[in-house]
Amino acid sequence: MSTEQSDVPLPPPGRRLRARDAILVVLTATVLLVLFQGQSVRNWGEQMDPGIGRDIVLGVGKPVGWLADRLPLHDAADDATSWLASEDDLGDAGGFDTPAPTSAGERGGIPPVSPESFDPATLGEDPPKLELDKLLVTGDSLVMPLDVVLARRLADEGVEVVRDSHVGTGISKSGLVDWGKLSTKQVEDEEPDAVVVFIGANEGFPIPVAGGREVECCGQEWAAAYADRVRRMMNTYRRGGAARVYWLTIPTPRDGDLADISSTVNAAVDVASVPWRAQVRVLDLVPVFSPGDRFRSSMEVDGKKELVREPDGLHLTEDGAELAADLVLDAVERDFPR
Amino acid sequence: MSRPPLWKPFILVASYVFYGAADPRFCLLLAGVTLANQFASLQIDRAPDRRTKKRIMIAAVAVDLGVLGIFKYYGFFSDELNSTLDAVGLGLPVPLANIALPIGVSFYTFQAISYTVDVYRGIIKPAPLIDLAIYLAFFPHVVAGPIVRAREILPQIAKPRDPNDVRVGAAVVLIGVGLVKKVAIADFLAREVVDPVFGVPQAYAAPDAALAALGFAAQIYCDFSGYTDIAIGLALLMGIVFPQNFDRPYSATSFRDFWRRWHMTLSRFLRDFLYIPLGGNRHGELMAARNVMITMLLGGLWHGADWTFVIWGGIHGSALVIERVLRGRVPAPPVWLRWLIVFSVVTLAWIMFRSADIGLAWEFLTRLADPGAATLWSFPVVAAIVLVIGLQLVPQRPLAEVRMSVERLQPAALGAALAAIIVLVGATVPSGGVPPFIYFQF
Repeated sequence: MSTEQSDVPLPPPGRRLRARDAILVVLTATVLLVLFQGQSVRNWGEQMDPGIGRDIVLGVGKPVGWLADRLPLHDAADDATSWLASEDDLGDAGGFDTPAPTSAGERGGIPPVSPESFDPATLGEDPPKLELDKLLVTGDSLVMPLDVVLARRLADEGVEVVRDSHVGTGISKSGLVDWGKLSTKQVEDEEPDAVVVFIGANEGFPIPVAGGREVECCGQEWAAAYADRVRRMMNTYRRGGAARVYWLTIPTPRDGDLADISSTVNAAVDVASVPWRAQVRVLDLVPVFSPGDRFRSSMEVDGKKELVREPDGLHLTEDGAELAADLVLDAVERDFPR
Repeated sequence: MSRPPLWKPFILVASYVFYGAADPRFCLLLAGVTLANQFASLQIDRAPDRRTKKRIMIAAVAVDLGVLGIFKYYGFFSDELNSTLDAVGLGLPVPLANIALPIGVSFYTFQAISYTVDVYRGIIKPAPLIDLAIYLAFFPHVVAGPIVRAREILPQIAKPRDPNDVRVGAAVVLIGVGLVKKVAIADFLAREVVDPVFGVPQAYAAPDAALAALGFAAQIYCDFSGYTDIAIGLALLMGIVFPQNFDRPYSATSFRDFWRRWHMTLSRFLRDFLYIPLGGNRHGELMAARNVMITMLLGGLWHGADWTFVIWGGIHGSALVIERVLRGRVPAPPVWLRWLIVFSVVTLAWIMFRSADIGLAWEFLTRLADPGAATLWSFPVVAAIVLVIGLQLVPQRPLAEVRMSVERLQPAALGAALAAIIVLVGATVPSGGVPPFIYFQF
C-alpha cells in the first residue's frame, strides 16, 4: 500500500483516552437511558411492523421496560423535561383506552336509525347552507402532500387550512398517538367547519377488545374493532352535525400484505360512516387510483401519463395528490357552495 | 499494530445491516458498486500502459455515474424529455418509471469514483476488497457523508490508530452537539415556520416569508452539520478520523469563502474531480468562469433531480464568477458589507433550494414584497435563528473553552452527560417522530 499517511485527517485536539474508556462512556449512557427511558424502547418495539427487527427491539425492550417500570426515574425525567415538549398533552378525553359512549339500544337490541344516516342529496332534499372558514386536513403520512395541495388550492378562497399530519401513527396503533384523544384535541383547539382525513399507512396492529383480549388483523372482529375506533373519530370530527367530514379510503398498495390490510381498513371506514351519511363522506380513491383493486403507479391525467404513486407503492405523488384534491374539493363544493 | 482479526468482517456486516435497515435490496447495489470498482482498480493496476488504464478508469466512472443516473435522474430526464417531445408534437413517450432512490447513492458513488480515480492517478494502490467495502459502507458516513476520500480512510482501515489514543471527549461533544442541532433546532424550525411557509407561501406575507427564509438557512445548517457532527463523533469513537465538513459557513465574507466552509468535502470533490479536470483556471478568465458555472450547475444537480437545484447551483456559480471578475478591479467593500451581501445571496438562494418547484419559489419571492401581518414570529423561533447564525459570528475561543471543559470530564461523567442530552433532546420530539435528515434524500 503506497498511500501516504499524510492524507489522513488529523484527529481533533483534546484529551486522549483509551478505547476501553469509550466503551465505558457508551455503557454509562446506555445504563442511564435504560433506567430513565427504558419504557421508550418497549413502546417503540410495540409500534414496529412485525418482523425480526421488532422481535429484536422487543427482546431488549421488554426487560428494560420492566425494570424502568419499577423505578420512579421515568416520571421524574418526564416532569423535569415537560417544558421542552413540542406538543400539548392530548389529555384523556376521547381516548381509545376508555369505552365508547353507547346508547341503550346499540348493544343488545336493534340499533336505532337516526335521520343523520341519510344524505339529503340522496333523498332529493336541499342540503343545509354551510360556510367554510376553517378546514382541518389530518392523517398519517398518507395525507402528505395532499394537505399542502389543498392548502395551496384554497389559499385564495379565504379558507384557513390547518394541516396536522402525524407520520408513523395509526388508528390501530395507539401507543404512539391515540387518535381518539388527538381528534378530540384537534376539534377542541380548531373547531373546524370541515375535516379531511387520510390515514391508513400504519394499520394492521392488534386491537384490544372487551375482556382484555387483543384481536389480530384482519378478520371480522378486527374490522369491527377498527370501525368502532373510526366511528368514534368521525363522531368527534362531525361536531354534532356542525362540521362535514371527508374520509379518504386507501388506494390499493403494491405490496400484497398491505393491500389486504387496506382492503379491510376501507371496508371498516365505509361501515363506520353509516350512522352519519348526512355529515360524513367516504371518498373512495380505489376506483380512481387502482381500478379493479389492482395497483398501478401511473395513469392518464388530462391526456398525459403521470406517475401518481411514490416508489414505495403506497403514498401518492404530488400529481396523485392533485387528483385526490380534485375529488375532495368537488365534495367540499357540494357541501359548502360558494 | 493490527486490529483484532474479526474487526473488519464485524464492522462490514454491521454497516450493511445498518444500510439494509431502510431497504435490504439497496445492499445489492452498494455491493455491486464495490465489486465493480474493485474489479476496475485491479485491472487499472495490472494494465500495461497509460491508455488502457485510462479506458478502464473511464468505464468505471461511467458505471458509477450510470448508477447515479438511473436511480437518481431517470425520472427527471424522462419527464423532461416527454414534455419536450410532447411540446414539439412528436408524442414519443419515454417510459415512465418510479424508481426508488437508494439512500446515500450520491455519496457512495462519489467515494467509489474517488477510489478508482486515485488508483488510476497512482496516488493509491488497490486496497483489499474488504477494506474497500468498509470504506464505501462504513455506517457513520454511508447515508449522507461526509464524502471521504479513499486516501484518507483506507490507511486508517488498514492500519489502525493507537487504542490508547481515542478522542472520546471530542466524540461525545460532537454527538451531543449534533443531536441538539438536528432534533432540538432544525426540526423545531421546520415545524414552526419553514414547512408551513414553504408549503403554502401564498398564505403568508413578507414578515413570515422572511422569517421562513432565515429559518431555513438555520435549519439546513443545523440539519446537515448536525448529521456530520454525529457521523464524525461516531467514527472517532471507533478510532477513525473523518475530515471536517463545516466551518461556520455563515461567517463567510466571500462566496469562495462560503464554499470553503459549507459542505467542504463536496466542494473539494467537485474541485478535484470536475473543476480541475475541466481545466480549472489554467486557460484564462473566460474558461475559468465557464468551468465554475459547469461545476456549480452540476453541483446543484447532484443535490436533486429538479430544476430548482440547478438554479440554486447557477446562483452560486454566477456569484462566484462575478466575485472573481470584480476582485482587484473594484475596491473591496468593508467586511460587514461583504458579509451582508454573501449572507443575503446565500439565504435567497436557499429559497430556490427548499421550494418544491420553480413556481412556488417565485410565489415565495413575491411574498417577500407583500406587506402583511407576522403570524409565525415567536421568541423561541427568533432566538433559535439568532443563536444559530450569531454563534458563527462571535469569537470561537470561549466556545472552544466550554467544549474543552466538557471533553476533560471523566468517562463516566461523559456518559452521563450524553445520556442527559439524549433525554433532553428526546423530550422535544413530537408524536410524529424525528423527520429524516434533509441530505438523506440526496
